[in-house]
Amino acid sequence: MMFDLFKRMARAPAFDAAGLGTELLARPIAPGCTLPSGATGVAVDRSGRTRRISAGGRMQLLDGENGWCFHPGPYGCDLAPFAAAPEIGLRLHFAVDSPDPRVSQQRFDLFLASEGAGDLSLAGFAANIEAALQRELAQGNLDLPPCTTLDEWNAFRAGFNQLLYTRFGVTVDDCVPVDLRPGRDFAALLRARAVHDADEPYIGAETAPAAAALEVAGAAVAAVPGRARFDPAREDARALRRLFLELPCLMCRVRQAALPSGQDLFRQQQALLQRLDLVCLAASTMPALSLAAPGQPLAASQQLRRARHSVQAAAALDEAWALLARFELAEDRGLEALFDDADRIVANLEHATGERKLASAGEEA
Amino acid sequence: MTAPVSEAVSEAMFCSLLADGSVVTVTATRRARGGRADIKCSAPGAPALAARMQEVARLARHTEARYDSRDQVVISMDRAPGAQERDWELAVVLADRAVRGLLPPAAVPQLALGWSDGWHHGRIDGHDAGNPPAGALLGGPQHLRHLGALSGQPDVSASVSSARAWFPLHSGGINDSLCWVEVSVYPLAAGEAPDDEAIAAPGLDSARQHAVRQALAGARHFDGEAAPRWRTTVRFGQDGLHGNSYELALVLADRLARGREFLPRGRIIASGCSGAWHAGQVEGVEGLAPKCALIAREASAGDRVLLPRAWEADLPPGLRDALRAKGASLACVERIGLI
Repeated sequence: MMFDLFKRMARAPAFDAAGLGTELLARPIAPGCTLPSGATGVAVDRSGRTRRISAGGRMQLLDGENGWCFHPGPYGCDLAPFAAAPEIGLRLHFAVDSPDPRVSQQRFDLFLASEGAGDLSLAGFAANIEAALQRELAQGNLDLPPCTTLDEWNAFRAGFNQLLYTRFGVTVDDCVPVDLRPGRDFAALLRARAVHDADEPYIGAETAPAAAALEVAGAAVAAVPGRARFDPAREDARALRRLFLELPCLMCRVRQAALPSGQDLFRQQQALLQRLDLVCLAASTMPALSLAAPGQPLAASQQLRRARHSVQAAAALDEAWALLARFELAEDRGLEALFDDADRIVANLEHATGERKLASAGEEA
Repeated sequence: MTAPVSEAVSEAMFCSLLADGSVVTVTATRRARGGRADIKCSAPGAPALAARMQEVARLARHTEARYDSRDQVVISMDRAPGAQERDWELAVVLADRAVRGLLPPAAVPQLALGWSDGWHHGRIDGHDAGNPPAGALLGGPQHLRHLGALSGQPDVSASVSSARAWFPLHSGGINDSLCWVEVSVYPLAAGEAPDDEAIAAPGLDSARQHAVRQALAGARHFDGEAAPRWRTTVRFGQDGLHGNSYELALVLADRLARGREFLPRGRIIASGCSGAWHAGQVEGVEGLAPKCALIAREASAGDRVLLPRAWEADLPPGLRDALRAKGASLACVERIGLI
């Protein structure tokens, strides 16, 4: 028996740390591995609670826990804040900061617990950041107008820093506008679109010149949005996991962040928190995707509808994190508009979770 | 803020033409949703048409950034177009947007004609009316190509990139108006030598064409564009320009079209010229007072107003605050490009 134990200790699996800190932010780690130097471990249990294991230690996982290993960085990436302006961008340098002792759970740990699936690559993470940034700019919550003045730039930076910290748990070291020109050529992108447009009416008939142009355009073709297959079961599970894990933390943060001064705002906040509580309850008692009633399977079209509503709810959740970032920066006078937005987002959450619960679309005019 | 609920209008009207030349009015109203469908449509005696209206409005909402499940929009037509007619589609889409405050409210119902097979991309494919009246909003390749073009923004799915910017046209008081300039660019084929016609401005006299080419060439040089990459077409909203205060708007529209400028949520409204576009400088122009008055009157939510730095000291007091109250923003610039 002793001999077995030693044998097991001896063949603790090696952890492949290649790319960690450069192309990879985090990677799942098997129990018993030694953390590489400079990297931190995160153990996530079944209900989403997380704890950190400091660098150089051994991943001692309890039953039912999953291990992650992340490198704090720093990392650098280029973002395009507007889809219609591909040649102008922001160069962002960020890091996963040392833990904030005032909160019980670090936001980045929550991100890993709720959204982590396999390796977390820098490119994938940057795409997430870019999507969040583009949405905030399109909604007018952040402003980056043409010929930005210094004051406007500083306001943008403050909002953007807070957004990244609140939504992803990373801190911005530096962020500057850059010309993405040598790497991203709009002319090539337009040519690729012309080829793409010409291709569209004909199914399967790829002409030789079109194929040649595709080769010339190279990377630009990838930017033409592909039609990835929507897998209802996977997307639904991901969205519901996010709602289940993140909504309680979000409510906790809302309670701490927004301390309204007046009686009216206080009532509004209480009402919002109550409604969020019910959304939380709805998310944690959500019926299975594939069942209309116990023992009765649900038609595939209705499963697709349900999955779309879960994804919508997750999108509203993203907006809620962005709104929380704005609450954390807000001064007293802008609060009414923020509460109105909060009302909209909570209504969207209620609507989406309500529709997700229904077994069939039962909507009247 | 995009459309805070409290301030938005609760009714919006647009008109369209039927094949027999009569006018149909599309009315959109908004009310609390109360568990009903997000869009309800009706047309007299034509339930199939109502279903198609709902489909069009729903598809067109796919390009919106902000989703609000709190309201129901009720859209109705006062007479039913024939089953083959489709010019009413644009009016329905615009009414649906205006009633939720995404478009500035208009005093009189505007005439809008257009149909599309790609509303979910925000695209407008064309219009059928033979000779539409002047001042109507027309959909189609020569007119309004996609919904974002209402505020001058380039289409993210088209292979020709075109963008608009507006400039104040001062012609003595009552006739002052905002005029647009549109720049469309298409990449030159590989190895194609750029000729003089690479920047075309149809309808302008040769002196002004030369000025337009000079300004664009200078501004592109400032961007560090070594070899010419674009075939360019410039169009103006009105003929009979004088002066050169359109230049800043022209240069900004060109930068938007080439994907090298941050996008405003609304329109760019700019006035300014330069003797040194190759250095990116912006210089002052004539007519500060009437132009500022015009801009203060015409600006709407999301617009970005850019004026020369030389004007900053003489701006009318309160202009900045008035614009901010409308949701627009103002900046005085001495050079274009990144800060």
